[in-house]
Amino acid sequence: MTVLETIDLQMIYHVGKVDVPALRGATLQVEPGEYVAIMGPSGCGKSTFLHIVGGMLKPTSGRVMIEGEDLTAMTDAQRTDLRRRKIGFVFQRFNLFPTLTAEGNLKLAERIYAGKDNRDPARRREVLKVLGLEDKMNHKPLELSGGEQQRVAIARALINRPAIILADEPTGNLDTENSGVVLNMMRQLNKEFGQTIIMITHNSEAAARADRIIEMRDGHVVRSTVSTQAI
Amino acid sequence: MNSLIAANISQRPLRTAISIIGVALGVILITLFVGLSRGMMRDAAERQANVDAEIRFLPSGNVSLAGNPLMLPSRYADAILHGVQPTAEDPDIQPKPPIDGVAAVSPVGEYVQGSVAGIGFEMVDGIDYPSFINTTHLTLAQGRGLEDGRTSGTEYEVLVDHYYAASGKDIDGRPVHLGSRITVLGHTFTIVGIYEPSVLGRVKIPLHTMQQLLGGVENCTYLLVKCERPELADRVLQDLRRYYPGNNVILTTEIPALYSQTLAPVEIFLNVVIGLGLVISVLVILLAMYTTIIERTREIGILKSLGASKRFIVMTIEKEAALISVLGVVLGFVVAVIGKLALEANTRLMIDLEPKWLLIAAMIGVLGGVLGAIYPALRAANLDPVEAISYD
Repeated sequence: MTVLETIDLQMIYHVGKVDVPALRGATLQVEPGEYVAIMGPSGCGKSTFLHIVGGMLKPTSGRVMIEGEDLTAMTDAQRTDLRRRKIGFVFQRFNLFPTLTAEGNLKLAERIYAGKDNRDPARRREVLKVLGLEDKMNHKPLELSGGEQQRVAIARALINRPAIILADEPTGNLDTENSGVVLNMMRQLNKEFGQTIIMITHNSEAAARADRIIEMRDGHVVRSTVSTQAI
Repeated sequence: MNSLIAANISQRPLRTAISIIGVALGVILITLFVGLSRGMMRDAAERQANVDAEIRFLPSGNVSLAGNPLMLPSRYADAILHGVQPTAEDPDIQPKPPIDGVAAVSPVGEYVQGSVAGIGFEMVDGIDYPSFINTTHLTLAQGRGLEDGRTSGTEYEVLVDHYYAASGKDIDGRPVHLGSRITVLGHTFTIVGIYEPSVLGRVKIPLHTMQQLLGGVENCTYLLVKCERPELADRVLQDLRRYYPGNNVILTTEIPALYSQTLAPVEIFLNVVIGLGLVISVLVILLAMYTTIIERTREIGILKSLGASKRFIVMTIEKEAALISVLGVVLGFVVAVIGKLALEANTRLMIDLEPKWLLIAAMIGVLGGVLGAIYPALRAANLDPVEAISYD
């Protein structure tokens, strides 16, 4: 089953009396275990696309199917529930809770996903080991480097076994070395866990690590190419 | 989530402290004002209970029990006991028979003065000592009783009860004892006796002295009428009403009800205080949580991106508000207990912290907090996730 399918996705923002189209019919399919990079100039609709796929925005028209569930036919509460069950977000600015430790951030995600008494410590340990964070669990975000913070954010996105990880410029705030580490880890997660990843990036080197590169222009998907690395 | 709540609370210690103090303020307001009201009423009732007389005889138009001027002729006491006949000096006087069944009658002057301790007030009784001990349970614990105040050197003598003796200060600020000098009605009196149990006012001076100082010559505030047997009280009451029409003659058992009438405005005031406590709690938490929500807009966006439901977000904020409120209630109780001890040690105010009212104060504190957090919580739950997560 296709893990993600968008059909003729349109999104128009109403700014005062002016209509601003962000998506003009974006159609895309992503298969389970795929690692897809979305590229395109600023304002082409990448982030809007990601927010719609993640259930944080409702499109003006078109359909979004996630593992067969029609996101666009859902209420706000149902979209929130689907996001909880099937989506993991990774943001450019990490977006960790500054008052919680790395482990606290993971536990909060577990709590939201599974409730108070259904945590999975074994899963947590496994994720932390893969991301090399075992010795950082009691550190708060401000006590971690940018790369470590982003790895915690990835761990948080991964902890509940989402169908798709949506990463919005995950290396945008990192230096070259840390960017490399984070990208390697995302590749590793994709390979070892079969994790489906959709990543927005401006960085062609980052995009080259994905299986497939989608190019967007003016709210359309204009090209889909298999990356050189995948070849 | 609990660690998130704890982290949120500890992240802004000053604001958390102000919120806790705000809730505590409401709790203190309720516990101390209600405690003061209940304590003073209980104290007054206990002192009233030590009156042995079955009947209280008050002048016309006077149903209030506090702050009465000296309006009732003291000679009614003799008239009730022995009857009254026209005399050569007063040939027009209406003859009245002695009232059957009356064992003793005592005229009492009553004056409310500001407490010597500086906070509150205290009742001063002007008494005719021999008849007073026949109509009450007053017993001397130390010293001697009062003279009639007409003999030179005895007019400025005073009796105090055991409570006053234990907590009062003399004019030099020292603990009182027999022989101490205290200020009563603006004059210096010497303590000649300490009595127990407490009966009516804590301070008693000769009725004649009170009459001289207040200008109400030969008048009193009311009479205490003791019957030969309690079962005669109703008949004596009817006779007194028949022969002394126009006065308020009441059974002492009716006095608690009269207190309730007198204190009805106090009950309204207490309800206002309780409402005020609730409003304070609501406003403090509303402002604190509203500010918190604005500061944490981005964090709420993160929660939403993780799939947190509106209910989850509302409950997180409500639990935080409830925790702050509970801490405020605890602080309020601690301050209220300290306030009670301090006030009772330094004044003659009585404060009863009854479990029922402590529970009500706690419920109001927590309820106020939970209510105050509803609007900020709903606002947070309804934030747009994309806007929230992009918030700087």
